[in-house]
Amino acid sequence: MAIKKGKFVIEGLENVQINIGKVIEEGAERLIEGPTPKPGITSLRSWDYRIIDRYHPVYTPTSDMCDYCTYGKCDLTGNKEGACGIDLEGQSARQALMTSIMGAACHSAHGRHLLHYLIKRYGEDHPIDVGPSNLKAPLTETIMGIQPETIGDFLPVLAYVEEQLTQLTASANTGQEGSARDFESKALHAGMLDLLGMEVADIIQISCMGLPKAEENTAMAEIGMGILDQGKPVVVCVGHNIAAPAYILDYMDENALFDRIEIAGLCCTAHDMTRYNKTARIIGSMSKELKYIRSGIPDVLVTDEQCVRADILKEASELHIPVIATNEKITYGLPDRSGDSVDDIIDDLASGKEKGALILDLEKVGELVPRLAMKVSPIRKEKGITALPDDEEFGKLVAKCTKCQQCTLDCPQNLPIADAMVAAVSGDISQFEVLHDKCVGCGRCDYSCPVKIPVLNVIEKGAQRVIREEKGKVRIGRGQIGDPEIREEGRNLVLGTTPGVIAIVGCGNYPDGTKDVHDVVEEMLKRSYIIISSGCAAMDIGMYKDDEGKTLYEKYPGRFIKGNLLNTGSCVSNAHIAATTIKVASIFAGRKTKGNWEEIADYVMNRIGAVGLAWGAYSQKAFAIATGCNRLGIPVVAGPHGTKYRRAFIGKPYKKDDWNVFDARDGSTVNVEPAPEHLMITAETFDEMMPLLAKMCIRPSDNSLGRAIKLTHYLELSEKYMNKMPDDWHVYVRSEADLPVAKREQLLKTLETEHGWKIDWDRKKITEGPMRKVDVSFQPTNVPRLCKEVSK
Amino acid sequence: MTRDAAVKTVDTTRRAVPFDTANIPGPKMAKPMMPQVAGRMIARARRPLLIVGSEVHDGDVLEKVITIGKTGIQIAAVGNAYKSLGDKGLDVHYMNMHALSYYLCDPKWQGLDGKGGYDLVTFLGITYYYASQAISALKNFSKTKVLSIDKYYHPNADMSFGNLKNDIFIAALDEIIAELQKE
Repeated sequence: MAIKKGKFVIEGLENVQINIGKVIEEGAERLIEGPTPKPGITSLRSWDYRIIDRYHPVYTPTSDMCDYCTYGKCDLTGNKEGACGIDLEGQSARQALMTSIMGAACHSAHGRHLLHYLIKRYGEDHPIDVGPSNLKAPLTETIMGIQPETIGDFLPVLAYVEEQLTQLTASANTGQEGSARDFESKALHAGMLDLLGMEVADIIQISCMGLPKAEENTAMAEIGMGILDQGKPVVVCVGHNIAAPAYILDYMDENALFDRIEIAGLCCTAHDMTRYNKTARIIGSMSKELKYIRSGIPDVLVTDEQCVRADILKEASELHIPVIATNEKITYGLPDRSGDSVDDIIDDLASGKEKGALILDLEKVGELVPRLAMKVSPIRKEKGITALPDDEEFGKLVAKCTKCQQCTLDCPQNLPIADAMVAAVSGDISQFEVLHDKCVGCGRCDYSCPVKIPVLNVIEKGAQRVIREEKGKVRIGRGQIGDPEIREEGRNLVLGTTPGVIAIVGCGNYPDGTKDVHDVVEEMLKRSYIIISSGCAAMDIGMYKDDEGKTLYEKYPGRFIKGNLLNTGSCVSNAHIAATTIKVASIFAGRKTKGNWEEIADYVMNRIGAVGLAWGAYSQKAFAIATGCNRLGIPVVAGPHGTKYRRAFIGKPYKKDDWNVFDARDGSTVNVEPAPEHLMITAETFDEMMPLLAKMCIRPSDNSLGRAIKLTHYLELSEKYMNKMPDDWHVYVRSEADLPVAKREQLLKTLETEHGWKIDWDRKKITEGPMRKVDVSFQPTNVPRLCKEVSK
Repeated sequence: MTRDAAVKTVDTTRRAVPFDTANIPGPKMAKPMMPQVAGRMIARARRPLLIVGSEVHDGDVLEKVITIGKTGIQIAAVGNAYKSLGDKGLDVHYMNMHALSYYLCDPKWQGLDGKGGYDLVTFLGITYYYASQAISALKNFSKTKVLSIDKYYHPNADMSFGNLKNDIFIAALDEIIAELQKE
């Protein structure tokens, strides 16, 4: 008899009930293939130490003080110890841990909210369906050692994440951990948990809510501040969690309201709205939140969680835009109206009696929001409510500017706002159009102006022409990369004949505007890199068109092969990007995954040329994702603002011993080229970032053809963007076969004359110089137990 | 007329407040510095390094950096500065500034040319917040002396100019050049 979950009574035994909560199949335990299923805080510490020993934590504190406890404030300048004994290095590492924890908590709490909601709606036994994959949940398998089949199988996964995050948080209390090195190990643990929490969140919503399942060429969604018909009622959903917007979209669908109401999203909720219902649209990233609210276009704002501005209620209420908060994490002090009738709530909000409402009954949100928008919209549109000045007022405001530069001092980008004001006085508003793209929409300039110019509103008014034309296309988030695609491409990636995978991820805090993200993607696609994107960066890629009016998503297909552009989806879809490397290790190389993090990460670090680019990362979540990727052996490049995360992982190529690996065939030590050179580093400018990306795709396992391809791009990108050959290109040459074919003879001469290498010119062969030879069977590993001789 | 007399003396110690309003690191902040002092310190350093970044491409600033470089000081071109400096016959090396700020903290690092570490590091022409973070690493985890001769006040440096208008900034660089050319 098969045992099932449920409640049972036994005949003849009164008051006895047997509850069976979880049935574990016989043999399930044997599924575990590695040594660390459900790793505790210290289970992977030795792997973390291997990482830290090569990629040294580099601290760039934003504050020299610690004010965590009442002993302080403590002055830690010069790495002094504070009252509790922690020094600045330890404090900086503790901040790295806390940042990772915050990010991981955000994504896993998002997953927890969704899991509660989806289990309630679909039941624990709802099967996981992510598309054509046997390896359905790569991160879950690698970390937990289990193979989930139903959404209920993720309950213990999130319980594990939550328990670990509690333990990690505890270690940050005053008088607990004091070692910077172990804080970093813990931060890496939190980063890994973040990847796991994200995977749970996205897999369950893909499985239950009909989101695309590893589809190559999903439909295109419209994006931009200029896409909505302002004549209609406008609903804008802000945040990251699809649960509430899904009810709104369902209600609009059932009541045929899509022709009557405009609905769009800001930040990652927008991605998931389009994945759920192709009719939805995307306004843009978090950088657009304040700008779009100030435009006065939204008639109702719906907030859920993460990346929602703290001042939304204040800003919206000034423009009579009701705010509906739908998630416990962001409640804005609003009255809980979950139990009230929809009609009563609409009356109170439309009349202005209340500024907003907290409604945790999502079905009610679904009905209320469209009806509220239709009621409020005519009132708002009749009044023409907007925060932006009219033409006459604009002229007066720019003339008020005293050119004191305080706005520039307070601007995160130090933008030359006063110059634009001066030009506008003379009738030239073009500088505001440039500022609009570079401005991250924070509004700090408003507070700084001593003559009370509403600076952001002035910028936005001056940029109206470009804002109206801001209409792009984004390929809707596809979810995972399917197993068949991995089978097709895995070999090219490991051998290096596909030059690399570049993950364009993160937020919109770019150092020089959104166009940079488009430009890096275009350049690398032309060079046959695989580009995988997600989140706000995925949106910004689609904001620009070529001369024929096409965006990059329309020009390049979305399969996981060289020269393709993929969008996995929202912030939590980042998990699939990291998980793709696990799939390559498993499907292409046959590595065991379950409970086997260290071996998988070691494989990824040494063999898979993948790099993340978080050019505009701002959030704790982005830091946690990067840290999780680092623990998985994936390097990350951030923009210059990334130094404000206060910790990087930087390699020392001049310290030769740091670059010793083992050859897994016999356990011998091999000194290899510094590849990847860093695990987490920033670049100051676009020009500097481009060759750096190419270099970070080089791996010790590249075959000669692959190395030659990677070196070709490294050299060309350096010459194109930095006007120079890289200083270290020769370090990556193991034989003449590694040299780019088109430049082979010229490079051989350079090796001979500038680096003292010996060349046999009759055979055009290098006879002396390289640090090691090419060995096609070389099996680089950083883990001694993976070496055959050692394991014997 | 002597070379000294030709160079106008400017006060670079005014407005010595962090260029980013909230960039207040702690109790130790840079001493405001006059250009002659900076010039003398660089000139007398055993092995100084000038770190120049992506704000060097402007004509006036570029000209001054080239002139400073021609006095013999080694230059680390960070960001994309090499594009404007690489072909000017200077002792200039590209380096990522995030990595450089860490290597400068390592007593075993042998410098950009393998000839040893630096006893004085001077910052100029770099994205403000980016430079500030790099300097904070040096301030807290190295013994290297740090000057900022940029047009921004850098609180994490040992000594820094205040926030300068462009004409004062260029005049200050002229004063430094005059000091370097004296030696």
